[in-house]
Amino acid sequence: MTTSPAIGRFTAELRAICGPEHVVDDPVELQRHQVLGAAPRTSVTPGSADEIVAILRFANEHRLNIVPAGGFTQQQTGNPPAQIDVLLSTARLTEVEHYDPGDLTVGVGAGYTVAHLSAMVGKDGLFFAADPPLPQQATIGGLLATGMIGPHRQGYGGLRDYCIGVRFVTGDGRKGKGGGRVVKNVAGYDMMKLLIGSQGTLGVITSASFKLFPAPRQTRTYVSEFASSVEAVEFRDHLLRSPLDPLCLELVSPQAGEFLPGFGPDGPWLLLLRAAGSDAVLSRYRAELGAAVSREVDGQSEQDVGRAMADFSHLVDERHPRSLLVSLSLPLRDVQGTLNHLATVAESNGFTFACIGRVGVGQLLAALWPRTDADLPPVNFVNTVSGLRSKLPQDASLAVLRCPLEAHKQISAWGPTPTDEKSMRAVKMALDPRDILNRGRFLV
Amino acid sequence: MALAEVVEHLRKIVGRDAVLDRPEDLMLYEYDGGIRKSTPGAVVFPRTTEQVSQIMRLASSAKIPVVGRGAGTGLSGGAISQAGGIVIAFSRMNRILQVDAENQCAVVQPGVVNLQLSEHVSHLGLFYAPDPSSQKACTIGGNVAENSGGPHTLIYGVTVNHVTGMEVVLPSGEVVHFGGKAAESGGYDMTGFFVGSEGTLGITTAITVKLLRKPEKVATLLGIFETIDDAAQTVSAITAEGITPAALEMLDGWTLRTIEAYCHAGYPLDAAAVLLIELEGLREVVEEQAEAVQAVCLQQKAREVRRAKSEEERALLWKGRKTAFGALGRVSPSYYTQDGVVPRSKIPATLRHIGEVAKKYDLIIGNIFHAGDGNLHPLILFDMRFPDQLERVLAASKDILEYCIAVGGSITGEHGVGSEKRDLMPALFTEQDLDVMVSLRNAFNGNSVLNPEKMFPTPRMCREITGPARNPVLAQEGM
Repeated sequence: MTTSPAIGRFTAELRAICGPEHVVDDPVELQRHQVLGAAPRTSVTPGSADEIVAILRFANEHRLNIVPAGGFTQQQTGNPPAQIDVLLSTARLTEVEHYDPGDLTVGVGAGYTVAHLSAMVGKDGLFFAADPPLPQQATIGGLLATGMIGPHRQGYGGLRDYCIGVRFVTGDGRKGKGGGRVVKNVAGYDMMKLLIGSQGTLGVITSASFKLFPAPRQTRTYVSEFASSVEAVEFRDHLLRSPLDPLCLELVSPQAGEFLPGFGPDGPWLLLLRAAGSDAVLSRYRAELGAAVSREVDGQSEQDVGRAMADFSHLVDERHPRSLLVSLSLPLRDVQGTLNHLATVAESNGFTFACIGRVGVGQLLAALWPRTDADLPPVNFVNTVSGLRSKLPQDASLAVLRCPLEAHKQISAWGPTPTDEKSMRAVKMALDPRDILNRGRFLV
Repeated sequence: MALAEVVEHLRKIVGRDAVLDRPEDLMLYEYDGGIRKSTPGAVVFPRTTEQVSQIMRLASSAKIPVVGRGAGTGLSGGAISQAGGIVIAFSRMNRILQVDAENQCAVVQPGVVNLQLSEHVSHLGLFYAPDPSSQKACTIGGNVAENSGGPHTLIYGVTVNHVTGMEVVLPSGEVVHFGGKAAESGGYDMTGFFVGSEGTLGITTAITVKLLRKPEKVATLLGIFETIDDAAQTVSAITAEGITPAALEMLDGWTLRTIEAYCHAGYPLDAAAVLLIELEGLREVVEEQAEAVQAVCLQQKAREVRRAKSEEERALLWKGRKTAFGALGRVSPSYYTQDGVVPRSKIPATLRHIGEVAKKYDLIIGNIFHAGDGNLHPLILFDMRFPDQLERVLAASKDILEYCIAVGGSITGEHGVGSEKRDLMPALFTEQDLDVMVSLRNAFNGNSVLNPEKMFPTPRMCREITGPARNPVLAQEGM
């Protein structure tokens, strides 16, 4: 199955490349870095792109399986790896490459955490728009590789809209670059697009540059309640037709209320709209939203609710460790039908479901956990995933982010996508021909 | 296969009236908005994806280079054929296939003219955001190939930010689909990767684009300045105020006067520079921002700030901006437009440098550009009949672009690399950076049938033409 050399030989090589203090081969310590049940045989923390080149070239010679790792917040997503030879941590790549507050741009190493970046630019009244779960741990490299989408996707666009440059090492050990430091740039291929959401299968990201935004000076979140998802989605449509331009527009299902501070389970369907602006602007929002608004949240409470919405997947992990968590990417018109189908499939397989998401851009997260205290067998999880995929609308995709391991091994984490698979494979072959990076964990 | 034979085959695919091969017809397809020329061997006008696929198959087996062409308004040579190659012109694939208001998107053929889409969906309160200055003529297919921008990309982003799916004919003739109507799709973002690939990976035959809701309120301001420096400083000062205008354009005095003589937009004739600033959005937001922008301009020593009082006044201010290139035609037989980008804070220094370059090479250089995102468009006037002038123009352009790179910028913000700037790519990317890109190109276009000799520098092309994948690992293994 594998032609990996004896472990002693390749840890010696890794030590020679990165220095002995940056290589771990103690099995007990490595157990703590399990990825979907597989513990790495060794882990290495290179200090530069050149060291990564050396590691990947060595890995190519021996066809090792490399798993790039950042803050380990999304590492349990994807198909379970058969074996991990080397866990490659970006923790030492924390250089600030450039930061130009006047230009509203910043570039940092892949190991820089999202929280650090937000804090650094926040001091100058600027805003880094990505809001993934667990920003204290989540790294820039991991954020890009997993393409995480948070509530601010509504108002600021996604990573593909504001990541302006990237440096990386390809699977076959070549240093590459896309974009640069300026906010508008079409020189060369847009490598950012390929790497964002590639789940670490094309290259190891070593640094990235971003467009920043002026931080909003005053914000408020308006909560509207609805008796059914139909009414909530209709109201969404009304808002999308209105001139309002919210920062966030989140749908919260009744069971998802338990994850938001100040809310509870079994409540109504909610739409949370976060707006920014002066008193006059906020009054306008309030007026447009009309009678639907039941609560207004600002200050620290607003921060807490916003954080909980962004942390949803993590909060589900904590409270319902044996749950199924899926992300759905849908055309706007298909949100309602998919919510109905989700309820039916959950019900028939014995699950309770909680749904939260960026409903104005068709991005939802749904968590399903056993309705009663008794655990459910793997087949219920497997049937739920296939049931959901069986009626997936055209152009939609469903990814499994978390699932109990026994069931996880029987499903594809990614499922069908509207994008031609052969073309994706051609890209993979061009950058990682020996399939060194995250082998078996992604689509191709 | 001899060209005559290829033309016969092309006629069988698309019909006799849809192929041009007479020299007097081909002449019309030998140029774009830039300065270089090259005469194709044939121009073909397909009507369907299937025909494009057959053309690609034919070209691949005959090893004849192919380039897609929309309206030929590009400025980097992207749509210019290799001598004797086939131009696939998309003027007959110009239908809006679907408007899906509920999903806020449309599906269009590549030959749809940019502005026509916005006009077509206007009654729904929607519009298509990317607005190149040539939007009355340029096509969405060409915009996709070049990842085109425009004045309003400051707030809305360039073409790639508005494309979610596409149908593509690969060099093999295979028809594939990427993405769709959802904002994001599973798997690699092939859509995002293909946008801006300058026709070197595949030919787009259908494009799914986002449609945006028209803003409730628009305010258009004209800040008038006594010095270029003051105007340039104002750009950063507006951003520092926390305001992102929808558009923030700068015109220098020389350009202003030239335009004013042509279209009477009402620009002041004695100003050193003006800023054309547009704010869009919710009524309350726009009013507040308009006041703040006015205050910033005055703080930065603007002589006067005018605000368009009606849609007619607004249209007139924009007419000046968007017809600038026509105005130049009156004063100079030829002009060369550059597309460098610098960090916003470097705009004042860069404009001073451009002034020095004009003196050094004894040229007139006007400046009309997207100041808000640092995307410069120096317009260098010359007369093509004097070869020494062209040489000076090219040297001056290179000088300006090298300066842009030196201050942390780029050689193109929205027009693409094409054939005109490909030799500058090594100043922006290392040998290995380019090697990685070329390996991707070769994964799709290994035989260089599609748009050869574009984007990547010349010596590299000789190597790459020798064969498909040039992957170090596979090469080592003799694969």
